[in-house]
Amino acid sequence: MTPTERLDYFPISDRKPLVLPDGGRLAVWVIVNVEEWDINETMPRTVLTPPAGGAPMPDIPNWCWHEYGNRVGFWRMLEVFDDLRIPTVLAINGSAIARYQPIVRAARERNWEFIGHGFSQKNMQKVADERADIKKTSAAIREVTGKNPRGWLGPGLTETWETPDLLAEEGYDYVCDWVLDDQPVVLKTRTKPIVGIPYTQECNDVAMMLIQHHKASEYYDRAIDQFEQLYSEARSSARVMALVVHPYIMGAPHRLKYFRNALAQIQGRPGVVFMTGEQIFDWYRAQRPE
Amino acid sequence: MIPRERTPYSAIVDRPPLKLPGGARLVVWTIVNLEVWDIARPMARQVLPAPTGHVLLPDVPNWSWHEYGMRVGVWRFFDLFRRLGIRPTVSINARVCEDYERVARAAHEAGWEFMGHAWEQGPMHLIDDQKAMIERAVSVIERFTGNKPAGWLGPGLTQTYDTPELLAAAGIKYIGDWVYDDEPTEIRTDNGPLVTLPYTVELNDIPMMLVQHHESEYFTRRCIDTFDRLHAEGAERAKIMAIAIHPYISGQPHRIKYLEAVYDHIAKHSGALHWNGVEILDWYLKTKGTR
Repeated sequence: MTPTERLDYFPISDRKPLVLPDGGRLAVWVIVNVEEWDINETMPRTVLTPPAGGAPMPDIPNWCWHEYGNRVGFWRMLEVFDDLRIPTVLAINGSAIARYQPIVRAARERNWEFIGHGFSQKNMQKVADERADIKKTSAAIREVTGKNPRGWLGPGLTETWETPDLLAEEGYDYVCDWVLDDQPVVLKTRTKPIVGIPYTQECNDVAMMLIQHHKASEYYDRAIDQFEQLYSEARSSARVMALVVHPYIMGAPHRLKYFRNALAQIQGRPGVVFMTGEQIFDWYRAQRPE
Repeated sequence: MIPRERTPYSAIVDRPPLKLPGGARLVVWTIVNLEVWDIARPMARQVLPAPTGHVLLPDVPNWSWHEYGMRVGVWRFFDLFRRLGIRPTVSINARVCEDYERVARAAHEAGWEFMGHAWEQGPMHLIDDQKAMIERAVSVIERFTGNKPAGWLGPGLTQTYDTPELLAAAGIKYIGDWVYDDEPTEIRTDNGPLVTLPYTVELNDIPMMLVQHHESEYFTRRCIDTFDRLHAEGAERAKIMAIAIHPYISGQPHRIKYLEAVYDHIAKHSGALHWNGVEILDWYLKTKGTR
């Protein structure tokens, strides 16, 4: 199904207002992405190219650079969530669950929400059997949390024409790949609909640091600019703002404080509600029961 | 052997902390990279691609740009580290000892530690006989300095699955290619263990200036932010902070002052040791058993 078959164009200005409980106006959700990079594949991202170019395999330096995030960076980042007591969503590759058990334990102890993020860090269009990949990921999460994940983020936000259909059939309530709005949207599938919750490519450390090559401080500056605009617009109808981080990027010693400072400043404003994806989903369904 | 067979995943918080002597909090490890770019081949890096993107052979403009580092830039490094009393590690293509004997001699006379960095600059994957190349690089450095190098860094940190075995067999004790931790670690090879030291692709002028295209002054900011964070963490657990520089990049007139500013900031703090690779290795081998 094409995107326009899944949802009609419907401008934000024409919708009836969404209202958050207890005078809240802006829902902020934070997603930490934990991945496992297969050394036998091309690395999903690189910080260093080999001398004279090319893509020689194995790519030990870039594999190690990512692995740093799970050995060191994640634990540095965890202090921010503990200090500020912010509910957090863990988007995790199914294969990373068995590999990085201390991370899974830490997330479970803090009651983070686990969402599916592909079984491995591979474009969904290159996955041999998409349904099997989704099922395997759900099973890996279920094994450690005791329940089915309700949310899904494709690796690199990738989808095939069929992905939302498969996700709905596999029991998923919401998907994060559709960064087309500041409010949740309902996507048709060949069975029951699935909700798209506003994720972000804008306040996302992969896009900002690895592709656009911004300074670390730009994460803070952009998050605050994004926040101020959405916060202002949300006075008439609630908005959702996402902040996305990866332990190997924002968990580097020189970057973490810019993430912490952004969260602390946003948290200090009245009417800001930090939520998980499933909380946003449940709230949205109650607001729009039709 | 793939990395997972050499060492399992380990979360830093699950390890007892390492401690430095005298209550120090972190070690600053400076690595100067000296290379030979053979004009007969494509250049390792380019500041200026040819008009219309053709691959140039010979690539005189980019060869000259690198050569500037050996003719001019590196002498700015020698001045700086002499003034600071710091003896860095030099990650050196062994061929530098022959093609740029003047530079290698200055590094040796200044007491810098020589770390193997292949025979010349190019990825390990393209070497037909890695064993012979590693042995040649090690023996040229040994002949030049009188000592076998303890450390090794692959060009661009490259390795194949066999490289650690070949390095261990050649008598190498530590490598810089595994940038996956803030602490030294030990990895398995078929020829005995190798220590990994936390080299860096974050505080490194190649990714920062040539890949990410940051402004020169951002080097100071990122190094200071890293230092402040690791200095704070170092109260609980010893940390290593590597700074990796190249004379053709950080030795440029417009960049050198931003490198100097990093060491000015570090000098204002107590608890920072300036050690080279073999000093970090010796400390780690003595300390790891006691934690």
